[in-house]
Amino acid sequence: MQLTIDNLTKEFTTDAGEHIVALSDINLEIRDSEFICLLGPSGCGKTTLLRIIGGLDQPSSGQVILDNQVITRPNPRMAMIFQEYSLYPWRNVLDNTAFGLELNGMSREERYAVAKRYLDLVGLTEFSQSFPYELSGGMRQRVAVVRALAVEPAVLLMDEPFGALDAQTRNKLQHDLVDIWEKTKKTILFVTHSVDEAVFLADRIVVLSPRPGRICENIPIEQPRPRDRTSVEFAQVRRHVLDLISLK
Amino acid sequence: MKAITLMVVACAVIAIVLFTAGCTQPAGQPTSSNVTLQKSSVSLVYMNPGQMPQLLATGQVDGYMAWQPFVSIADVSKIGTVVSYSQDLPPKQVWEDHSCDSLVARNDIVSAHPDMTNALSAVFVEATNYTRNNPDRAAEISADWLFGSSNLTYGNVTINSVDVEKASIPTIKFTNDPSDQWITSNDRFIGALKEIGFISGTLSNVTPNASHAMLYNFVPYNTANGMLATKTIVSPTTAPAKISIGYLLSDHDAPLFVAVKNWKYFLDNYGFALKPKVDTAGKVEQAELIVNNQKVADVQLVKGDGGPQLMTLLGSNTIDFAVAGTPPTIAAVDKGTPIKILFPVHTEGSGLVVTSKSSAKDWNSFIAWINERSASGKPVKIAVAPKGSIQDVQLEYALEQSGVAVTEAK
Amino acid sequence: MRWYLKIISPVLLLVAWEIAAIAVNNEFILPRVGSVFVVLLQPTKDILGSGSLLDNAIISLTRVVSGFLLGIVVAIPIGIGMGRVRWINDMVDPVIELIRPIPPIAWIPLALAWFKIGLASILFIIFIGSFFPVLLNTIDGVRRVNRTWIETAYMYGAKELQLLVKVIIPAAAPTIWTGIRVGFGIAWMSVVAAEMLPGTTSGLGYLIMYSYNFGQVQVIIAGMIVIGIIGLGIDIFLKEVERRKFRWQGLER
Repeated sequence: MQLTIDNLTKEFTTDAGEHIVALSDINLEIRDSEFICLLGPSGCGKTTLLRIIGGLDQPSSGQVILDNQVITRPNPRMAMIFQEYSLYPWRNVLDNTAFGLELNGMSREERYAVAKRYLDLVGLTEFSQSFPYELSGGMRQRVAVVRALAVEPAVLLMDEPFGALDAQTRNKLQHDLVDIWEKTKKTILFVTHSVDEAVFLADRIVVLSPRPGRICENIPIEQPRPRDRTSVEFAQVRRHVLDLISLK
Repeated sequence: MKAITLMVVACAVIAIVLFTAGCTQPAGQPTSSNVTLQKSSVSLVYMNPGQMPQLLATGQVDGYMAWQPFVSIADVSKIGTVVSYSQDLPPKQVWEDHSCDSLVARNDIVSAHPDMTNALSAVFVEATNYTRNNPDRAAEISADWLFGSSNLTYGNVTINSVDVEKASIPTIKFTNDPSDQWITSNDRFIGALKEIGFISGTLSNVTPNASHAMLYNFVPYNTANGMLATKTIVSPTTAPAKISIGYLLSDHDAPLFVAVKNWKYFLDNYGFALKPKVDTAGKVEQAELIVNNQKVADVQLVKGDGGPQLMTLLGSNTIDFAVAGTPPTIAAVDKGTPIKILFPVHTEGSGLVVTSKSSAKDWNSFIAWINERSASGKPVKIAVAPKGSIQDVQLEYALEQSGVAVTEAK
Repeated sequence: MRWYLKIISPVLLLVAWEIAAIAVNNEFILPRVGSVFVVLLQPTKDILGSGSLLDNAIISLTRVVSGFLLGIVVAIPIGIGMGRVRWINDMVDPVIELIRPIPPIAWIPLALAWFKIGLASILFIIFIGSFFPVLLNTIDGVRRVNRTWIETAYMYGAKELQLLVKVIIPAAAPTIWTGIRVGFGIAWMSVVAAEMLPGTTSGLGYLIMYSYNFGQVQVIIAGMIVIGIIGLGIDIFLKEVERRKFRWQGLER
């Protein structure tokens, strides 16, 4: 799996006539099974970049290439997990999880079996008949993750998926995500504005500057996992990243 | 300071204006000081007869002039006393045999299907004869058709619809003869309608004779009579698959009800009938026209809410025939609706009733009572069928002849 | 506890009615509760040769349901089209806004002219009454479907038809259902207007008008009460369906 972002720019004109450059000259190579965090302040274009990579938006110039295929629309090898409104409230957990499989025409028996397997993975089997409104925020996001995993994508695109959760749940889910990543070896592109989160999760942190969004830093994190948030090493890495960012 | 002065002055002006207005009498209201100088007057309020019995019983009107069976409803329930039937209204004999409901037909139907029209006319003629000669049976049929033979409740009084019909039918003259008096009464109605401005088209500037040509087509009637005299009805060779006949909710249209409900009698004796598709109690919607024992056409019977509505339905080709009053028919012909009157279905059959509490028992005591009430500043209030109707024209004419002024209640 | 409260106001209304009727002492202005209930308590008895309350209620209900279903079947697809496709909306909306304010009653002459006397003209009037609330709510519900839900479906490779059936319609369903509730209420109100059409000889609206023609006030009021009760009953039913099928609405995340 080779994901390349080549000379990508995104600009547009607002209703008021203003000309905005959201992203400028983005060049990025993502290797198989890498866990990349896109880090930056609000409004720096990281969500825009993620959406373009996923095929939901088009670049103004430049390309996204996945294994020699130019991406201009959603691709079955990439799955996206959003921060809010991720699950369909009128479907129960099982039907939500099986959603992608259902769209692909898998029979009900088969897709329920697959879905149950993935729900097992995150310990939500007993909730398969529940509805999203009966679940906590953390449980819902877990379902969103396994729904994505169920279609066996090569790449997971995640847009601040834990941003709306409380700190404890957030930490737990970060931990669970690393677990899942280690088990499934998916390539993950994770957008966040939290340095702590990025340092905990990423193999590599790609830092975007505020508008126009440019890659201003590319920081590899070599700490072995699982990383201890309270350790001295963690704090050092964190300090290092912050320094690099604040210099810009 | 200036603003306050301005406001005070404005308030004073407004107060003065209101005070003056309050003290001024609205025109036409008799006061005790000037009644001896003015004619007596009656206040007329126009409406559909449906509510008239209630209003009479609750004292909201002092009397009403309407078509049957509303006159007999007041009579039988003792809510009111009959002052005069329409044919007896003054001036003497002017309204004898006056026109009321007739069979009206679309010109295109008559010219395309003359034999069918003649046969249908024959059915009506015999049905009218039967109605005239068998008033009790006609009353039962009318009560069944209009009311399901059930009771009518007006407040504390409950009366049976059959009793009402038995009292009403004899007051209606069931005849198809377009007599001279019948034609003259129509001329009078044309004059009256012109006066109130309901006629402004083709009928407004013609001589009476010219108007007759525009209003009447007696060919089917005469042909039907001829056929009945020789007991040979010509079988129609053409007919539409379905014809629609509109009618009104009144026992004025009893001949139609009799033709349908008593179909066996007509079939046995004449070979023709308006046979109901389903033999039910109450009103019939679907029937068949049978001539010489053969079915000629399906017949749809459409209950109308009033003469003008039936005219609209004729004009939009929704119905083919209607049993309707002559004034709306005259107004429709004036506007250019391509219809003509074939023959009357009855004459006479309306009446004036007043509250039983009054001293009025006939026309003269009625006028005396009007004068009395006018003099005491509480003019009599009479409900009457809508402006331009036969009842309205007759009543206003009679009052005028008796020297009473008419005001319209607002 | 709540159901006690709900009974109180109708009971109070009946008491007030009876007191007022006794005070007015005039059966024409305000009949006594008793005389109206005599009619109501004999729902199978024929009235003025026009059928019983029960028969006429069933006939009116059948007509309204038919006209209403017709309205839904036409309004929902148009609403989805207008909600999803901008140019369809821009093209159709001006006509809709022009026709919408016209009350069903005003359509009676045209209904007669186009559909002649018979069931079709009645259904047309009821159709007009039901159409607009359902249409407008469908458009609104479809427009307001959360963009993320739609993009999620696209990400999973949904084709347009799948998107429509598996996302748009379920997401818009609660709003559409509200439109259905409102639309049915209006359709049921249109029944009196529709049954005024000439040639009608059955139905609650017809019974009321016929009794009006002969001044039978207690039948008129009894008819009005039946119309009110049926309307209420159906609304309760529709609300209950909403409560059960759309429980998930509590959560919009």
